[in-house]
Amino acid sequence: MLVSSATYNALAQEDASDLKDAPTTTVTSPKVTAENWLAKMSHAMRALNYSVSLVLLTPGNDAQPYLWLHGVNDEGIELEQLNLLNGPGREVVRIGNKVSYFEPNVPPYSLESSIINSPLPSDFFRHPEKLKDGYDFFMIGRSRISGRAAQQIRVLSKDRSRYGLNLWLDQETGLLLKLNMFSLESELIKQIQVTGLNVTDKPDGFFSKIENSMLPEVISYQPKSLSNSDWEIKYLPLGMKIVKRDLHRLSGTGKTVEYIMLSDGLVDVSVYLQDFKGDEPIQNLVGKVESDTLLTIQQGTLNVTVIGKIPAETANRIATSIQSVH
Amino acid sequence: MSQKFEKLSVLVDGEELSSSSSDNHLIDDVKNDADLMQKWKSYHLIRDGLRQELPVQLNFDIADKVAKAIESEPAMIATKKTWRNIPIVGQVVPFAKQGGQMAVAASVAVAMILGVQQLNQADTDVPYNAAPPILGVQGGLSPVSYDQTRALPQTNESEQRRRVNAYIVDHNQQMRFKSTEQVSNSTEPSVQDMTIEEQVNTVENIPE
Repeated sequence: MLVSSATYNALAQEDASDLKDAPTTTVTSPKVTAENWLAKMSHAMRALNYSVSLVLLTPGNDAQPYLWLHGVNDEGIELEQLNLLNGPGREVVRIGNKVSYFEPNVPPYSLESSIINSPLPSDFFRHPEKLKDGYDFFMIGRSRISGRAAQQIRVLSKDRSRYGLNLWLDQETGLLLKLNMFSLESELIKQIQVTGLNVTDKPDGFFSKIENSMLPEVISYQPKSLSNSDWEIKYLPLGMKIVKRDLHRLSGTGKTVEYIMLSDGLVDVSVYLQDFKGDEPIQNLVGKVESDTLLTIQQGTLNVTVIGKIPAETANRIATSIQSVH
Repeated sequence: MSQKFEKLSVLVDGEELSSSSSDNHLIDDVKNDADLMQKWKSYHLIRDGLRQELPVQLNFDIADKVAKAIESEPAMIATKKTWRNIPIVGQVVPFAKQGGQMAVAASVAVAMILGVQQLNQADTDVPYNAAPPILGVQGGLSPVSYDQTRALPQTNESEQRRRVNAYIVDHNQQMRFKSTEQVSNSTEPSVQDMTIEEQVNTVENIPE
């Protein structure tokens, strides 16, 4: 009686539009798709005035509470603040394209950027369309999160080489209520749970207190970009692109490494190539640092190190695909 | 019958039926009717398939298999009890053996990295860079006996940790600087290289 799983997979992949129209996943009208919902999210994230309390969880670590404020002022400039509420704190303020980091033990500094770098996947929140090459989106159903009606969306990599996401978006505003990042074995990698959401007409009063001239100066960091390298990566997960390639010095060791950053719009992966001549190579190892996978292997005369939120198998596949151009 | 299937489908979808009493009635029917029970199973499986929720491996009827396994198990009467005979522990051991190697390697790596991070935080001011370059020079100057160079496994290990940790720190920095480049591909007059190095060096406490 039991039909094989292959049949169901085939069924599932047959037509994505069928899926969206299936009775289980209808929202209000059959035309609403997961893409529509993500577009709604991205618009809401950029255009609304909101204040969000959230808790970040990574298995094996303490929960981290954050307060996240966002607003748009009269001139149409985006204002954003992300504040870690436990311990000595860590505060990031963004005014337009200027992001200022205030952290313990470090003099404050600013970077020119349109997003705050944080455990939140801000780039994805603002530009979910970047994921369409590498990921499929599914409407799942409705549920109740943080006391509000929520629409669940699932994001899965097309080639099953990366972690997936479960998102719960506020039915009314489209803002994020909950996010689960899970591995291919459905283990939780990271969770963001919103505990309070407040949308207002005006930006939070906090922003009126910020004086632009008081913010630290913008520093810039531009290492030599690398046009021709002796090495190339033969395998990239679907939808992943090389976004940066340079030579720079590691501040921890003072050694120069060839650096490649890969990104698919959701996760960023760093690949380091270091010739170990005259030096003892790093032993092969694989492990996890919070939700990042770290893999380092010897590939010919190179030490290849891959770090990022990807499964170890994928990291290994990327690392072993590196070959000499010659 | 088809009406029943329809009702069942609605129930699986979590949509409420008109009255809760008919809901209960249907659940009773499912319990008693083998056909309906089978449909109930299939509907869930289909839904999981459509939602891409199916696990990598499908294990159907675990309960049946367990029941069969228990039946075919020879009755153990008055055998001497060791920890291997305790059902759960007995099961666990071969499984642990199977996946053990990888798991141990991974956990060692994690312990190592975490250990280093804590070490690093304790004395961030200590410059590590002083010692390693000498190694190469030594080799060039005079032949050193193999044993002598081998006599420093401790430093090799910590050297390795330090290098791995440097990658982690750098990865976090790069993530932060990544968006910078998206905004300004134009070459702005930048702060002197030295100042940047200093700034970058101090950025240790990056979330994640």
